[in-house]
Amino acid sequence: MGVIDIMDAKGTSSLGNPNPNILTPHPSKSSVAIRFLRVLSLVRHTASSSPSSRACRIRRAACSCMAYSAGPRRAWSRALLRKLVRRRRKPPRRDLPRPAAIIRRRRPVGGDRLEVALRRVVPGGAGMEYCRLLEEAADYVKCLVMQVRLMQSIVDFESHVHSVNKRSEIDPGDRN
Amino acid sequence: MEPPRSSGVGIDNSGEYSPEIAETLRFEEEIQSLIHPSSFDGSAAPTGGGSFTALLGLPANQAVELLHDSGAREPLASRIRVGEHPVHRPFHLPLDCSSAFPSNATLVDRAARFSVFAAEGSPASSSGRLKAEPQDSDSPPLDPIPTGPAKRKDTGRSKAKVTAKKSKNAEENTDGDKLPYVHVRARRGQATDNHSLAERARREKINARMKLLQELVPGCSKITGTALVLDEIINHVQTLQRQVEFLSMRLAAVNPRIDFSSLDSYLSAECGPVTVRNGPGGVVVDPSLWPTDATAEATRRLLVPQFWHIDLVPPQLQPQQSLTTWERDGAAHSQLLPNPTTSLFLYDPANSGDTNVPHRTAKLKTAEDRALNL
Repeated sequence: MGVIDIMDAKGTSSLGNPNPNILTPHPSKSSVAIRFLRVLSLVRHTASSSPSSRACRIRRAACSCMAYSAGPRRAWSRALLRKLVRRRRKPPRRDLPRPAAIIRRRRPVGGDRLEVALRRVVPGGAGMEYCRLLEEAADYVKCLVMQVRLMQSIVDFESHVHSVNKRSEIDPGDRN
Repeated sequence: MEPPRSSGVGIDNSGEYSPEIAETLRFEEEIQSLIHPSSFDGSAAPTGGGSFTALLGLPANQAVELLHDSGAREPLASRIRVGEHPVHRPFHLPLDCSSAFPSNATLVDRAARFSVFAAEGSPASSSGRLKAEPQDSDSPPLDPIPTGPAKRKDTGRSKAKVTAKKSKNAEENTDGDKLPYVHVRARRGQATDNHSLAERARREKINARMKLLQELVPGCSKITGTALVLDEIINHVQTLQRQVEFLSMRLAAVNPRIDFSSLDSYLSAECGPVTVRNGPGGVVVDPSLWPTDATAEATRRLLVPQFWHIDLVPPQLQPQQSLTTWERDGAAHSQLLPNPTTSLFLYDPANSGDTNVPHRTAKLKTAEDRALNL
């Protein structure tokens, strides 16, 4: 299977982490793949109106899969899910215990332009200290890379299968 | 307790160590007498003294040896200079040998310190000993090692000690890695305040994380300067996010006909059976995979024939308690995630006969209805 080869190769290469003590090792890529494929198939089932809304849903699904695979211990994954969920359901949810938000030892000063930009980019980056922000950013980047590779491989796989199917459809026709 | 003898020792800082050596011989006897009544690990003694006997218990002879040895060495001079401080400290003696000891309070302190160093291992050179000593003169004498590094940051240093320490810094800098604890080393010419130490530790942490990020982001290692690196990182993250969006658009635009043969075959080849638990409402299947990913993969591969077995509730799902907030967070998505599995199950006829179609129960049907009503 082409996709599996791609996935395995990328999976092993992505685990070459030089600093294992700071970044926790992610779960294997296949767990993200399983989740994402499931969600993908679901979204494809529900006959949605337009490709754009479907695209939106797929994007949200991808983000949620990424966040789930990262684990609840990561602040960015929690914040990402909170954002996604909030968009789904307008009414306010009950307040979950969020010690990171409640206990703010030092107010993050928004002086540095770069720091502010980083906070905006990384989900959940508003309430963290600078140190923590860098950590979460590194984790987020790793997850994003994994997710992008996964989706790319799926697209490649499907386009490949699609082309193969088309060819197989044509050939028996020719033979017959 | 200010015995005249110890003050005498404190004053004589030139090369005359004979009175001290004479004392150490008597001291040795006292140490022996102290050790024998007490248990070896000093469990009978109160907290302060307990550690002392523990320290002294094991390397007692070594401690005395060290005393003898150090008598000849030069660093003793600086120690004695510093050693005036221990005199003023209250010294808690563990047992009824207290009557014998007060005269040797300072010597006992030094012995404690030496024995600690001996316990660490002899590679702790004299410079290492020296480094820890000015610390210990501040901290209580009886547990130097565990609190030494902690106290190092916290105790304010007097100017005299700072100068005494800085003079040896060049030699000490190289020995920092031998000791078993993590500490912040005061470098030559740098301030040793609590604040600056803490700030330096924080800066080092931040630099370490920045280096990590630099390694993650391709093309960042060549760039020097924090601002440019941060810029590059932000650009990279934005690029990745845009890529995700673009790919999702592509995935949506791909012919939405049901292409299950490929997906199912991919899934069946890639991973083992999927454990599904259709609990009420907020039970999310997937987060249960987190704590056991490594082991779960292996066990799942073993259970290949029982592919889509629904009632498979492995004991691995126990550590879900810690994930309750997580589940609450993703409660809305819980509808999303377990249901696609059911929809996958239902379209099995397209696939090979691996999957157990008759396992489709009423639960599945209702779940599928819920999925389609999304």
